[in-house]
Amino acid sequence: MTHGSNRAAWWLVTPFLAMELIFVAIPLGIGAFLSFYKVDFLERTDFVGLGNYWTVITSPAVLRSLWLTTVFTSFALIFTFAAGFSLALLFQRDTRLHIFGRAVVLIPFTISMLVGSMLLKWIFSSEAGLMTTVLAPLGLGNVSILADPNNAMAALVFNAMWRDAAFAMILLMAGLKSVPLQLYDAAKIDGAGPIQRFVKITLPMMRLPILITFVRLIIHFTNILTFPLILTGGGPSDATTILGLQLYRTGFQDYRLGIANAFALMLFAFNIVLILIVIRLFRAKEQQA
Amino acid sequence: MNYRAAIALRKTVDIAVTALVAAVCLAPILWGLSTSLKPANRIMEYPPRLVPETISFEHYQTLWDQGILHYIMNSVLVSAFTIALCLGVGSLAGYALARFAFPGKSAILFTIVAVMSVPISSLLVPTFGFMVDLNLLNTRTGLVLLYAAYELPMTVWILQAFFQTIPVELERAAMVDGYSRMQAIRRVILPLSTTGLVAAGLFVLTFAWNDFVVALVMTTNEDARTLPIAIYNFLGYYGREWGPLTAGAMVSIVPLITIFVIFQRHFLAGATGGSVKG
Repeated sequence: MTHGSNRAAWWLVTPFLAMELIFVAIPLGIGAFLSFYKVDFLERTDFVGLGNYWTVITSPAVLRSLWLTTVFTSFALIFTFAAGFSLALLFQRDTRLHIFGRAVVLIPFTISMLVGSMLLKWIFSSEAGLMTTVLAPLGLGNVSILADPNNAMAALVFNAMWRDAAFAMILLMAGLKSVPLQLYDAAKIDGAGPIQRFVKITLPMMRLPILITFVRLIIHFTNILTFPLILTGGGPSDATTILGLQLYRTGFQDYRLGIANAFALMLFAFNIVLILIVIRLFRAKEQQA
Repeated sequence: MNYRAAIALRKTVDIAVTALVAAVCLAPILWGLSTSLKPANRIMEYPPRLVPETISFEHYQTLWDQGILHYIMNSVLVSAFTIALCLGVGSLAGYALARFAFPGKSAILFTIVAVMSVPISSLLVPTFGFMVDLNLLNTRTGLVLLYAAYELPMTVWILQAFFQTIPVELERAAMVDGYSRMQAIRRVILPLSTTGLVAAGLFVLTFAWNDFVVALVMTTNEDARTLPIAIYNFLGYYGREWGPLTAGAMVSIVPLITIFVIFQRHFLAGATGGSVKG
């Protein structure tokens, strides 16, 4: 707009930028500062240099949670992505039925994560008798879900898929809608079947939305706190204590805030790498559009 | 198989698959609803019964007696003020991004994408000490400010996309007629943007109403605790008394879903209009 000055634009964005500076950037700066100190119950004491970072990366509990996070994220990513893509393909037409389907899938994503995980905990708990009733005919009547390490991890992955398939669906559906329909028509005339059309047209055209969905899901899953805190409590015997929960415990149960800040910043650095990837992909998408 | 039969079959499969998906998505919620309405001595009955034989509101009564209203009011107040702050600050920034080409604009857009991707749980530890320093721990104001900071990038994103669809000529005409820019925004742009504002407001509401991890860390006494924290504490307090727990879950879910049903048109416009983050 020609009659608008740069100064007016900056005035309008200042309150927004101030909020982000004060409540996102400054806490990160303080956290970086504290990560070099020993902090006991909010009292900053000795300068320890990189000592906190060393404590974190050599901690057996952290290393274990790192491995568990890798396992959780891999499975959650595969299942959530597959479910989300299937749902996007399933509900892509704007018929009443499909719009209804999308709305229902969005419900687990819309309600509180805490509440969702709690309701799943109730379903999976042996007291409900619900899983026992379902599994008994399969000869699995005595299988306990949350008390067995592997099953608990599977339950955690199910929790992720149940809630976040909708998130993947939304991201992918926007991509699906941007594939020109003429391409499909042309391929049909040339005799391409549905599978061939999917592999040769849909997948290549969807490269960027798929990558963005992947990275965003990885960021989400590697940092997740609510699922393990509520559904499994990190157990049994720490088998589901993934990074988010390990960090929370270091900070807010042990109150080792110096170490927790070092831990949080390393996680944050990992996130930044992934976020830079998102931005690159995003920029590529903008240029394509 | 003739053409009509093929269409009928396809439609049947379509309905069956949708029903299956709906069942998986809704089963935990419906089972929770059923549990919350059963008398305490029927909750553990075997084999489990999906539809309660007798309906009882005793668990909701328990929540009421435990003072759930305080937490609900905190959630309502925090959500309302967060929405107001986000829409106020967000419309200004969204307007600037939609209407001006200024140096630094693309840097701001990429900052927005970056902050939208930052997982909030990785900010909790550093933010905790900062909130203590500002005396904002255990205050509803503290929660409102944090929630607004976390949801503003999304709000700005939705609103700038929406403002771009409003013709520039409208506010030019208003400004020729003697309106200042702020008056033009308030009297011309915002009234035309209800759909965008409602869509953004719903995103903010969902976050503020549902947030658990931020409130968990930033409240250490009952003053500012919100509904999700109350439910979490019930989980520790009642342990395995699933009656009050599932009743609490329903108190959290039902108002939110009701609002979404009321505003569904706006929400769908927001969710499919390319305004979803990512």
